[in-house]
Amino acid sequence: MATERSDVDLVDAGVVGAFARAALLATLLGAAAPIAIPIPFSPAPITLQVLFVFLAGLLLGPVWGPASILLYLAAGGIGLPVFAGMSGGLGVLVAESAGYLWSYPIAAGLIGLLVHRGTDLRDPAAVSTAVVVAALVAATALIYAMGVGYMAWLLELELWEAVTVGALPFVPGEVLKIAAAVAIVESGRIDTLDA
Amino acid sequence: MLTYEPGDTVVHALDPRAKLAVQIGFATTALAHATPRALAGLTAFALAALGLAQVRPLRTLYAYRFALAILAVGPLVAAATLGPPWVDLEAGLATALAGYRVLLVLLVSAVYVRTTPIRDSRAAIQRTVPGKPGQLVGVGVALVFRFLPVVRSDLRTIRDAMAARLGTERSARERATTTAMNGLSRTFARADRLSLALRARCFSWNPTLPELAFSRRDAPALGIAVALTATAFL
Repeated sequence: MATERSDVDLVDAGVVGAFARAALLATLLGAAAPIAIPIPFSPAPITLQVLFVFLAGLLLGPVWGPASILLYLAAGGIGLPVFAGMSGGLGVLVAESAGYLWSYPIAAGLIGLLVHRGTDLRDPAAVSTAVVVAALVAATALIYAMGVGYMAWLLELELWEAVTVGALPFVPGEVLKIAAAVAIVESGRIDTLDA
Repeated sequence: MLTYEPGDTVVHALDPRAKLAVQIGFATTALAHATPRALAGLTAFALAALGLAQVRPLRTLYAYRFALAILAVGPLVAAATLGPPWVDLEAGLATALAGYRVLLVLLVSAVYVRTTPIRDSRAAIQRTVPGKPGQLVGVGVALVFRFLPVVRSDLRTIRDAMAARLGTERSARERATTTAMNGLSRTFARADRLSLALRARCFSWNPTLPELAFSRRDAPALGIAVALTATAFL
């Protein structure tokens, strides 16, 4: 058995703090998978997962936000029941909704870059609402583009058919999640580590 | 729900890295081919894997019911056409075959989930992904595993408290905001305590890992993994 014989190489305090938040946000993302809130005029109830993807970018920034979501994907990949319907396994990461899952880390990174303008975190409550909303809308567009695109390719559907199955029923919910993310950030109740 | 179940089958005894390799090989070749002949072969392989691991197919399918719903709707949407002849059977069949291979990929990954403890998967990740990222992913996955029940119960408490205060009568936006905000503030408070505890225990980049070794019985599994991956290019 390979035992480490070198000196203990301590993890930097700042990294531990950010890493602990990233790991627990990944857990929250998984724990939120079974929660569904019904909304009027749509057959699909909303789940809070995309909301936490938004918050990962907003509160953890362009490095630890995507890292958190990659941890979530890794945990699901080895079989923890963190994906929709409390399922898990490597298969889900290539199945019909894999495009959405793989878009999450990129979306969180995009939000982090647009809102924080670099790796030093700013207080997102101090950033203008227009910038936050624009970042969230861009991230939503990215999530659906990747999700629908992959579904269309995998299941050999026409693009409009994939949009019907994979995007249209969810649009009302997305507007609501953007509103919720903005409300949470502006409330100032949740601090970023560096701000 | 699909989780690890202890057992003494051949598949349980394999190294997790060999099993991961087989899954990746299977998924690669399944995504490359959707012809009926290829699907027959893939089905035989998936059933053999389920049989060897003594995993029950129906129970597994039930665990993936959410994915199956979309796979079932897909062919109907693909077959429907605007204007005569209204139904395009060929497009529907293509989508059905494409969806079926996804089902097979899910079944094979279920074999891994049923036969591999999270601890082993963690060690496999940490030994395969090099350097500091590997360390963080390994520890992070272990943390997600430990904290999942705790965070779930946090969310349940928040939702119960909301329901007791007639929160279910409020608008969806308010409910989403309250649940997410309280969930997040509790989770971050936990994370900050955890970070203090990790530092107090000398959280380091080079801890000693659980033992993991390839043995002779992993050789066939690795061979199968390579063969499956190679068939993707046929």
